[in-house]
Amino acid sequence: MRRVSYIKRTTSGTVFDIFNVAFMIVLTVTMIYPFINIFAISLNEGTDAVRGGIYLWPRKFTLSNYEYVFSNSSLLRGAMVSVLRVVVGIATGVLGNALLGYIVSCRTFYGRKFMRVLFLITMYFSGGLIPTYLLMVRLGFMNTFQVYWIPSIFSAFYMLLTSSYIQNLPESLFEAARIDGCSELKILFKIVLPLCIPMLACIAVYIGVDQWNSWFDVSLYSKDGKWDNLQIILYRLLNQATALQKMMEKQRAAAAMKTLQPLTVRAATTIVVTLPIIFIYPFFQKYFVSGITIGSVKG
Amino acid sequence: MKVQGTAVDKNLTKKANGFSKFLKSLKTQKQLWLLSIPIIIWVVIFAYYPMYGILMAFVDYIPGKEIFQCDFVGLKYFKQFITNPSIWTLLRNTFAMSGLSLTFGFFTPIIFALMLNEIGRAKARKFIQTVSYLPHFISWIVAGSMVYLMLSSDGILNNLLISFGVSDTSVPFLTKGEYYWTIYTIVNIWKSMGWSSIIYLSAMSGVDEELYQAGAIDGLGRLGMVRHITLPSIAPTIVLLWILGIGNILSAGFDYHLIIGNDATRPYWDVIDTYSYRYGVQQGFYSMGTAVSLMKSVIGFLFVCITNYISKKLTDTSIF
Repeated sequence: MRRVSYIKRTTSGTVFDIFNVAFMIVLTVTMIYPFINIFAISLNEGTDAVRGGIYLWPRKFTLSNYEYVFSNSSLLRGAMVSVLRVVVGIATGVLGNALLGYIVSCRTFYGRKFMRVLFLITMYFSGGLIPTYLLMVRLGFMNTFQVYWIPSIFSAFYMLLTSSYIQNLPESLFEAARIDGCSELKILFKIVLPLCIPMLACIAVYIGVDQWNSWFDVSLYSKDGKWDNLQIILYRLLNQATALQKMMEKQRAAAAMKTLQPLTVRAATTIVVTLPIIFIYPFFQKYFVSGITIGSVKG
Repeated sequence: MKVQGTAVDKNLTKKANGFSKFLKSLKTQKQLWLLSIPIIIWVVIFAYYPMYGILMAFVDYIPGKEIFQCDFVGLKYFKQFITNPSIWTLLRNTFAMSGLSLTFGFFTPIIFALMLNEIGRAKARKFIQTVSYLPHFISWIVAGSMVYLMLSSDGILNNLLISFGVSDTSVPFLTKGEYYWTIYTIVNIWKSMGWSSIIYLSAMSGVDEELYQAGAIDGLGRLGMVRHITLPSIAPTIVLLWILGIGNILSAGFDYHLIIGNDATRPYWDVIDTYSYRYGVQQGFYSMGTAVSLMKSVIGFLFVCITNYISKKLTDTSIF
């Protein structure tokens, strides 16, 4: 214990400790339990699950819900779009913000301050939902894939992260490279990017989680459903019971799928949508935290 | 006269110098400028053009026309919104839910951080913290799906209530408006508590250990240490976040309402943001929707200024 050497042990302190530990256990369970419950339901037979009473583990174990999810073409396409969003979003966002960060932290560059202010202003003022929506309509971005990544390539917040990191690199590195006739793009790729990998990983995780989780822009811009991602499909499963019934009618005819119920299919889809986050979570959680602390220092 | 003259001259040469420096930089730093050009174009289109679009709140905007070609109507839409009878419901819901987040939602992370700080084992602390911000990283859709699962008429909570005899029939948690604010607040806390506590925990870990030692010598117990050492050291952070939180007083959630809210509960969840979205985007009253959200941000900014002023006078902490 941190302060154990000089803190007196008292009865009230011990009572508090017991209470505190109990509270923390309850809290941890509350945080995790919804995931466990939904997982149990997703592994249960549909008609049986509707009866309720599944808390920690499935009563009648089956994988048919997942079979259904992975054989449904619209869900599969949604998963592809989700993955594509994450991959393209990370690639363009990391490169874009590294470039921007390099430009605004290049001490000799004349336009450095101008670029920095240009982006800082966007942190405090924005056009808001409707003007942005109308802009996308006007640019012809409706029902296209580029609406997911082009408007989010650069960001003032990530610019602050990258530039504060690049500023800590020794300037002489860049100067030496320039004297040797290295082009700026080459400096970016050969010097800046390799040296910034920890910070870029942090940004990549943020962008990836954002892209994977976003659903509102899909509901705005993917009107014909061609670029629906997993989240929006799950949204429809939640809000429009009929959409699910319709989707399931075809497969239900097959004997194996007879026990499918909206409840369990919903649960299975939820797990499929959540799993990637849970998988990367233990590996990247240090990056999540380092991101928020750098951000708070920079104000 | 003479002094003024030289000052002007100096200014002029400075300007000329700056400009010639700029021209020179175009040549010597050609590559950096070339790399900047696409970024400048991007920021103008995707960040500054929508800001110009806010002006549509003051005209009768017709899609496809330029804003300056439309009829100027001044504050017509602002007046329309204020005199709209549904504004009272909107304001009530907005203030109720943001009020709940600014009180319960604001203080639970602080209490959680203080309690977590008292946990002895560093490993256990780390584990609890890691688990506590897992809900932050799942999407609102997934959170909504869990809410459906837990609270629907055949959900777990109702199962438990019936089997323990607390209630005879299932409680319509999701379709009865009276429950809406409570559920919203709880889900919000569940999702954001761990994440919001990070900043307090990092402020606490910055407290000098010697302070605690000195406190122990002076006879402070554990509660006394929390009160006289830990709390004062995170007080500036608390005040800063509170001021920033006040700026969001008119934003009382958005995603959650679109996912969990339904027609039956609308009198309890319709807030300014969802109203602006419904009218502005879904029904195409672009000017109206923009006016509503513009008014919202201006008022939010005023709130921040006022709180900032008060806190500057009272506690000497301010954000600007």
